[in-house]
Order: sequence, then C-alpha cells, then structure tokens
Amino acid sequence: MSPEYLGLILLVALITCIFIGFPIAFTLIILAVVFGFIGFGKVVFFLMFFQTWQIMKEETLAAVPLFIFMGHILEQAGLMERLFLSFQFILARVKGSLFLGVLFVSTIFATATGIIGASVTVMGLLAAPAMMRSRYNTALSAGVITAGGCLGILIPPSVLLVVLGPVVGVSVVQLFAAAIMPGLILSGLYFGYTFVRCQLNPDLGPPLPPEEQPESFWVVIREFFLGIVPLAVVVFAALGSIIAGLATPTEAAAMAALGALLLTALYGRLNFSMLREATLSTLATSSMVLFLAVASNIYGSVFARLGTATLITDTMLALPVSPMAMIIILMAVIFVLGWPLEWPAIVLIFVPIFLPVVEALQTDPDNPLLPGIEPQHAMVWFCTLVAVNLQTAFLSPPVAMAAYYLKGVAPEWELSDIYNGMLQFMILQVVGLLVVLFYPEVALWLPRVIFGG
Amino acid sequence: MAAENETTSPREVPPKALVMAVQIIDNVVGRGSGLLFAGLVLPMVGGLCYEVFARYLFNAPTIWAYDVTYMLYGSHFMLGAAYTLYKGSHIRTDMLYENFTLKWKGRVDASMYLVFFFPGMLFFMLAGWDEAMHAWGIGERSDASPWRPIIYPFKTVVAVSAALLIIQGVSEFLKSGYAAIKGEPLIEVEPPALRGDII
Repeated sequence: MSPEYLGLILLVALITCIFIGFPIAFTLIILAVVFGFIGFGKVVFFLMFFQTWQIMKEETLAAVPLFIFMGHILEQAGLMERLFLSFQFILARVKGSLFLGVLFVSTIFATATGIIGASVTVMGLLAAPAMMRSRYNTALSAGVITAGGCLGILIPPSVLLVVLGPVVGVSVVQLFAAAIMPGLILSGLYFGYTFVRCQLNPDLGPPLPPEEQPESFWVVIREFFLGIVPLAVVVFAALGSIIAGLATPTEAAAMAALGALLLTALYGRLNFSMLREATLSTLATSSMVLFLAVASNIYGSVFARLGTATLITDTMLALPVSPMAMIIILMAVIFVLGWPLEWPAIVLIFVPIFLPVVEALQTDPDNPLLPGIEPQHAMVWFCTLVAVNLQTAFLSPPVAMAAYYLKGVAPEWELSDIYNGMLQFMILQVVGLLVVLFYPEVALWLPRVIFGG
Repeated sequence: MAAENETTSPREVPPKALVMAVQIIDNVVGRGSGLLFAGLVLPMVGGLCYEVFARYLFNAPTIWAYDVTYMLYGSHFMLGAAYTLYKGSHIRTDMLYENFTLKWKGRVDASMYLVFFFPGMLFFMLAGWDEAMHAWGIGERSDASPWRPIIYPFKTVVAVSAALLIIQGVSEFLKSGYAAIKGEPLIEVEPPALRGDII
C-alpha cells in the first residue's frame, strides 16, 4: 500500500478514536508513532522529539499562558461585577438595558481576555439573577450572555489567534489587526438585534425595578471612573502597543498581566490564595491547549511525511468548483466540525490540512482566489474567516460549552431555552461570517492601514 | 452520627492499598507538580516586563529575556501536563462520552490508557531521553540568540514531563479500571470544575 493511503487510514483512525472520548492529545501521539513507524521507520522517534521541541521553542506561543493568566486575574479581581454595574446604571432607562449592558461588558472583556469559559460563567452569575428579577426573556438573555462571552476568543488579544498564527505561518500581529473589525461587526449585530427586538416588543426586556436603578447621577459618574476607565486603559495599552509595534504580543501579554495584577491590588483583591488559584487554572488551561499543540504537531508531520496532505490537496484542487466555492466548502466543513469538536482540535488538526489548498488557490496565476491580493494577506483573511466561523462552534449544540457553563450558574433556565437563544445568535454569527467571506476588505482593511502594503 | 449511617450506601469498601496508591500519586505527582510548576508563569511575566522597561526606559534591552521566556513557557506547559491530566482538563470529545455510565467511562478509559496512553508516553519519554542524553553529552548551547545559554536542562523537560504523565497515568488507570469493574468511583473526586475554565 502506498504511504499516502496509509495516511488516509490514519485520518480515519484518528476521527474514530476522537469520538470514543479519550483525551485527544494522547490519541494523536500514539497513532502518529504507530503509523509513522509503519510508513517510514525509526525516523518517527526523532520526528516526535523535533516537533515537540519546535512548539516548546516557539516564543510567540508564550503569549498563550500569559493571556490566560491575565484573564484569570481579571476574573478574580471582580472587575466584571463593577463593569456590569456601571453599565446597568448608565443604561437604566433604555429598553432591554441588561442585554445591552451584558453586550458592552462582554465586548470590553473580549478586548481584555482571550478566554470564553470564564466570561460566560462570570457573566451568567452576574446578569442572570438580575435578568430573572426584571422578568427578562430567558432565551434572549441566554443568547446574549453566551454569544457575548464567546467574543473573547475572536476580538484580540485572543488565544485562538495566538495559536492560529504559528500554525498558519502568519504574523499574530496581522491576525490581531484583521480580527478587530469582524469582532466589532459581530458585536454590533448582537447590539442591533437585541435593541430592535426590545424596541418592537418591550416585554422581552422590561424596565428595571427601582432598586436596580442608580440612586443619583453621581453614582453613575463614580462607577464609570472606578469601574470602566482603569480596565479600559490597561486593555487598550496592551492591544495598542501590539498594533503599534512597540511590543511583541508576548511582551504585551506580560505587561497586560502585570497591569491586571496592579488593578487587582488597587481594588484590594490581591492575595496569596487567589494568586495560587489563578496560576493553577492558568497551568491547566495552557497545558491543555499547548500539549494538544505538541501532539498535533507530531501528528501533522507524520501525516505530511506520508504524503497524505499532498494527496488531499491535489484531490480538492481537482474538484470542478470555483476558488470561492472551495472556500465556502472549507468553511462548511469547519462549521460542521465545530459541532462535536472544540476549537483547539479544529485549529491544530484540521486547519493545517486545509492550508495548502488555500495557498494553492491564491497562488494560481490564472484564477486567483482574491485577485490583486498578496498570498500572505489572503492567508490572513482565511484565518479571520476560521476565527469567525469558530464562534459558531461555541454556540452549536450538543457540545456547546457555553450552554453548559451557563446552565451551571443559572440552573433555573431550561436547557431548551438556552439553546433557543443561542440559535438566534448563531444565525447572526453566520451573517457575520458571510460578510467577511464576501467582503474580504472587512478583515484586510485595518492591517493594510497599519502595516501598509 | 446516626444521620451518617443512614446515608451510607451499601457500597463496597475498596482495597486500602489501592486507595493509598492512588491518593499518593494524585497528591504528590498530580497536585504537587501543579503547585510546583504553576508558579513559572510569574517569572515569565517578570522577565518580559523587565525587558520592556529596560528597552524603553533605560534604553538597554536585555540579552537574556528571549531565551528565558521560551524556556519558562516550554517548561510550564510541558511539566504541567501531568497536573492537567489529574484535573481531567485535557480536551476530549464529550459527545458520546458524556452519556456513558460510570462503568462504561471506566471501560473506555482503562482500555485506552493501556493501549494508547502508556505505549505512546513511553515512546515519548524514550525519544526525549535520547535527545536529552545527547545534549548533556555535548554540553549543548542554544543557537537562538547571541546569549547562547546552555540548553540541555530544557531538553530534559520532555522526558521528565512524559515520566510525570506516566506516573499520573497509573493513578488514572487504577481509577478507571476500578470504575470499569465495580461501576463505582474508587475515590471521591471533586467534580471537574466546568472542564477547563477556558477556552
């Protein structure tokens, strides 16, 4: 049997084994070793070390634990509570004010962190009781909280983009710049949708009971300066210094973590046990993502060496479809994969399989994917599409982590209501995906303005 | 207390030695390695921040920040893999697994540990060990920066991480094996705190 087909069996074996439910990283390693050994002998052991070493030495990925650490610190600092209260007071007189407050807090926090679980959980704890007291519509409440929480993984700095950059071979800074507009568009769609629905039907988000409203205008002003401004300064300093080229994403992540620690200390929440919990959570979360990165890197190299990657690329390129249709097919595949799988598995295992196809499409001189665009920029656009697409993965049942996080903290809400709300926002995410798909400028404009070219 | 007697189900008492072995591994290797290596993120923050301050405030970038950063980062997540296993945070696909009974979860896990995990990690450890021995032998230095620090301790991290994973894996295997046979948990574990506080 030729090695290419051995690789195809490897892929089928992997997908089968993934679904059994054993941790994916260990499945990847053993399958890679066995198939690699059959395919090309003892080199596989050297390859295994080399691919591990490559990830361990990738300084860019050091931003992953740092951003996660920063997120956990901010979460522990109780900053979200403050932010939410500020917005609740500011918006008290608007219809559906709690929805809009959640979306504001989520968008700001998305700019602060690159993790979702924390923000959906904390947001749920904060907003769900207030929403229930004010008799807000359950589905819409759940949709706003989950969809808003997931923005963290798209709006930079995002852990997903930090992982995606080295995988694709595109600068993380470019990806950050490219993801800002699509992130804001999604956020804007969520705002518009909830706002319009609440205007049409005020019962969805009735006015707040008096005890939830601010006592005076001065309370609003005070909360704004104490709750929103300090966080905003840290956040925009971090993101700004990356975009402006003053610091690498890794350095900015460290500075942001320091900023988060200082803020926490200022709010009087910094202590030893909190720090220990934050570092332990950081360890488990980063190790989970990065150890999977190691395993996928080993697996990917065996897969490529067997020649299967080329086989798949050639087969896909031979399909009689236009380049744009091919991208739509790839997006559909990622969308479907997002139902059972979590993003690290998709980004680390499947995106590398698709990459050569996209590269070949763009470098085709006769019929390029995006005429007049540098291949490097086309990859940035593709990565942005992947990132927007993966937003849907968080909201798609049955393995929608966001739903479980929310159900965990708001047990009174029926899972069916939560799913119903998530589905509404999933449709908005697909709209956002189509916008980026058919108007690549949405993603490419900001990087071009900043970096030229 | 009377209340306690009532709530005690007729559960079989697991062998003491088994419980002891699992608890020792969990506490020393699982939790212990976590507490030991979780702190590595702090010098990472410190080193990088120092580099930024040194560059912009003192106009004197460091020669060591780059190497120190990737060594800390690489050691952090590799050595933390055993803690992550102990916490049950390595990503798995829950779609089917979630619906299995404890007994079936145990069966799946125990057989996968035997067939997939131990052989894979053994190869991983041996590959890491060979490279580390070689690096120690030639006193290898990093070629990633002009500072050229010694690199062999960092290369040893792979073998050590694999060894820690194997030891923690023994505990996980015993736990899942017991569940597979008895359909009951060997020890009470705190529910996995919403798998991965993440992503």
